[in-house]
Amino acid sequence: MKYVSAVKPPRSAYLHIPFCHRRCFYCDFPVVPIGDFARGDRGTGSSSIKDYLSLLHKEISISPNGPPLATVYIGGGTPSLLTPEQVASLLKHLREHFGIQIGAEITLEMDPASFDDDQLERFLEVGINRVSLGCQSFRNEVLDALGRRHRRSDSLQACQWLRKAFSTGLLETWSIDLIQNLPGQDLDSWRKELSEAIETEAPHVSIYDLSIEPGTVFEWRRKRGELNLPEHDLAAEAMALTSEMLHEVGISRYELSSYAMPGHASRHNRVYWQGCGWWAFGLGSTSSPWGERFTRPRTRAGYRDWLVKQDQMCIEPSLLGLNPTRFPLDELLIIGLRCREGVNLEKLAQNWGWDTNQRKKNISALYFQLKNSFDKGWVERSGNRIKLTEPDGMMLSNQVLVEILLWWDSLPNDAVV
Amino acid sequence: MTDAPVSRLRNFCIIAHIDHGKSTLADRLLQETGTVAGRDMQEQFLDNMELERERGITIKLQAARMNYTAQDGETYVLNLIDTPGHVDFSYEVSRSLQACEGALLVVDASQGVEAQTLANVYLALENDLEIIPVLNKIDLPGADPEKIKEEIEAIIGLDTSNAISCSAKTGLGIDEILQAVVDRIPPPADTINELTKALIFDSYYDPYRGVIVYFRVISGRISTKDKVLLMASQKSYELDEIGVMAPNQYKVDELHAGEVGYLAASIKAVSDARVGDTITLLNSPAKEPLPGYTEAKPMVFCGLFPTDADQYPDLREALDKLQLSDAALKFEPETSSAMGFAFRCGFLGLLHMEIVQERLEREYDLDLIVTAPSVIYKVNMIDNSMIMIDNPATLPDPQRRESIEEPYVKLEIYAPNDYNGTLMSLCQERRGDFIDMKYITTERVTLIYELPLAEVVTDFFDQMKSRTKGYASMEYHLIGYRANDLVRLDVLINSEKADPLTTIVHKDKAYAVGKGLVEKLKELIPRQQFKIPLQASIGSRIIASESISAMRKDVLAKCYGGDISRKKKLLKKQAKGKKRMKAMGKVEVPQEAFMAVLKLNQTN
Repeated sequence: MKYVSAVKPPRSAYLHIPFCHRRCFYCDFPVVPIGDFARGDRGTGSSSIKDYLSLLHKEISISPNGPPLATVYIGGGTPSLLTPEQVASLLKHLREHFGIQIGAEITLEMDPASFDDDQLERFLEVGINRVSLGCQSFRNEVLDALGRRHRRSDSLQACQWLRKAFSTGLLETWSIDLIQNLPGQDLDSWRKELSEAIETEAPHVSIYDLSIEPGTVFEWRRKRGELNLPEHDLAAEAMALTSEMLHEVGISRYELSSYAMPGHASRHNRVYWQGCGWWAFGLGSTSSPWGERFTRPRTRAGYRDWLVKQDQMCIEPSLLGLNPTRFPLDELLIIGLRCREGVNLEKLAQNWGWDTNQRKKNISALYFQLKNSFDKGWVERSGNRIKLTEPDGMMLSNQVLVEILLWWDSLPNDAVV
Repeated sequence: MTDAPVSRLRNFCIIAHIDHGKSTLADRLLQETGTVAGRDMQEQFLDNMELERERGITIKLQAARMNYTAQDGETYVLNLIDTPGHVDFSYEVSRSLQACEGALLVVDASQGVEAQTLANVYLALENDLEIIPVLNKIDLPGADPEKIKEEIEAIIGLDTSNAISCSAKTGLGIDEILQAVVDRIPPPADTINELTKALIFDSYYDPYRGVIVYFRVISGRISTKDKVLLMASQKSYELDEIGVMAPNQYKVDELHAGEVGYLAASIKAVSDARVGDTITLLNSPAKEPLPGYTEAKPMVFCGLFPTDADQYPDLREALDKLQLSDAALKFEPETSSAMGFAFRCGFLGLLHMEIVQERLEREYDLDLIVTAPSVIYKVNMIDNSMIMIDNPATLPDPQRRESIEEPYVKLEIYAPNDYNGTLMSLCQERRGDFIDMKYITTERVTLIYELPLAEVVTDFFDQMKSRTKGYASMEYHLIGYRANDLVRLDVLINSEKADPLTTIVHKDKAYAVGKGLVEKLKELIPRQQFKIPLQASIGSRIIASESISAMRKDVLAKCYGGDISRKKKLLKKQAKGKKRMKAMGKVEVPQEAFMAVLKLNQTN
């Protein structure tokens, strides 16, 4: 039995701002490059931005209502290309449409060199209380190799402004992003990157492994043999080092790619990992307000067309929540195991709707499937809860997740549909 | 159906190299004679197996009966018998040539004569066939018919003064070809009043009617009421139906000497009605069968393992079914200590092996692990007995054997002379003995070597093609067995002997092969949860070793905006890959690793 009678309505919203100065060499996100000198209010690109924002407002206004939001995340792209007024207007719209709870986490992704301290202050004034800063690296040659526009000094300057805002209480929390496993990276250079990240005093660090995606400059370079990517053992050591160095200064891993000081974990991201629903607005964005995921067209023209049709004919009825579903159990396990605390099997299985017998049988089949993972020390169990160990289990998480998929595949049809 | 006297019958086939346009020409002839209406025409009508059309080759023979009104106003019946175009099936080619009085020799007007063409032309000449040279693809800009004519005269010694230029693609010259078939190919001998003999030149298995036999009546008559005797298998049958291929099957009551047709007689397996067998009448049998019948013998062997051990019974069933339609396929069960149950299968050649493997996967939905191909070795034992080995893993220990003999072939390669050097070094590397080199024209040579079949059934063909940018072609036939200093090279994965990777190699090459093999395996076997030693050994002596380090990191960290569908897709792929790997002891080995020995000469 797949359908559970009621799914709680979403309390989170994601807004996608696709504009960027340039497209970075590793990037395959739905972005619209508009040039190095573009701004949200005037000059190059501003009319594109204004035009897009009107579509975004339109999408919010045709969305069904829901309870007040607990988290809002404005991502991109480079949302810091918008003016504080433009951000304010989006927040105002969300507030009118859904309401925004007192104490809600409102994140803005910002890129170094796309704002100054004055702008930061105004972003905070209009309601932003968490900033995620896309540093990616602190070395100029690496930034060049990534196709980034900003310099090391821009990152350090931006961090200084954020630190100051944080210490004066204007900013509740902030985070920086780094990319691991870059071409040419060795253990020493990575150690330096981590030290610099620690020196910024950011209470939250997101670290993503470089992945080479189809259609990117990096893919093209790899095909030509120009990318000297760190080999397997080095990549493993780098990840272990990350975990160790950050842990030493009290920034611990609470999710596969996220590290934070106590109390600074991202509440918005947690929504994803726990299988709760969320709204999303904007081209290329994926929403799942009622269990079913839907990804919007990735181009502006496609998005505009879709929006017109959605408004007139409601071509994507899943957004209305007339027939709420839950994520399949295997997915809930896959995403749930990304988090430090793991998942409560018993509870997940109860919600899925198996009867007691089925539950017992299927869960013990899962334990059997995971036997090797337990033996290897990648998975730990306490009571009904299982979790990946840190760092071994996290580092080899796919080996565990594949077993979960194989378990799911082996279940009788009526158990998984 | 037009009933024609023997004098107005013509039986012919088309000889051509792959890609020289045989099937397109056949299509065109069918269209021109109105045998197949344009609207029913699917490209390459005679290649009716999906696999054949995909690969652009003919595997199973087909035949078609056409009516053609010639310039004298008379209507002639032309039987086109299609021949398979690959060295693996040369026996079938020889039988279908025997069913004809003439052949169209189709040569690409820009490419010239190739090894396969030549082999088949010689077969045709041996069978006393009238040969009509046809230069195809005359419409292509690179066509040089005069030069190619010279080449045909020089190489084959055929008079090309009345060769026909055509383009099967545009239809140019097609009528001229048909008229030439009538004028130049002799009618069959009028032997209607002799005792009945008919030659089986092909057969296939139909699940509803049993085996359908294609035959040419050489003498006498066959009618639906007759009981027939197959002289080699000594089995007799009542006929369910006889008919002609027009090209779809069309029932008739009687066929007489010179005609080509099919019969259905509830025959259970093609092995009961083999190509080359003679059909006669049970009541008035012929004194002796037609000459030239042999049973096709497999030359290449490999192990077939189901990836999932549960599929073993399905694999047996599929092989049983395939054997009904493929008399040359041989198989027997084998067991590997490391990998469980399998079948050892014998094939006519590499192409035949690939086709069977692909049909098993496609038509029977089986996931298979195929081991590298091997040949049959003769092992002379100390106690003077002799055993034949088709599986390297079963080669007896050195103390028990006196010598090993391996099959040799005579290989002829045709290529532009620019490639002499590289081809000769290839043959040398593959333990070839140089026999001869002949210039057939000023630019083209033929190289003749004798070399072990085992060296040919690896990647020889691919190497030859890649070293000559595809310009070379080859042809070989078995010439006997020779003793050589051969050893058994075993591979140990995680200290366990991996039978399916065992090979027999020449002693002088053993170290290089052993080293190459473990290096290749290191590349092909993914890191696993523990360290895996890889070793190559001769007897108990380790001659090469490598190891695969344990996997330390396997994680997809990037997961953007909660959209896990892509991540899940990747994980699913990984899970599927895991299922497709074959557990060898504790180690999961991907399919490609079993072919590692074939890939030693490739970088990457």
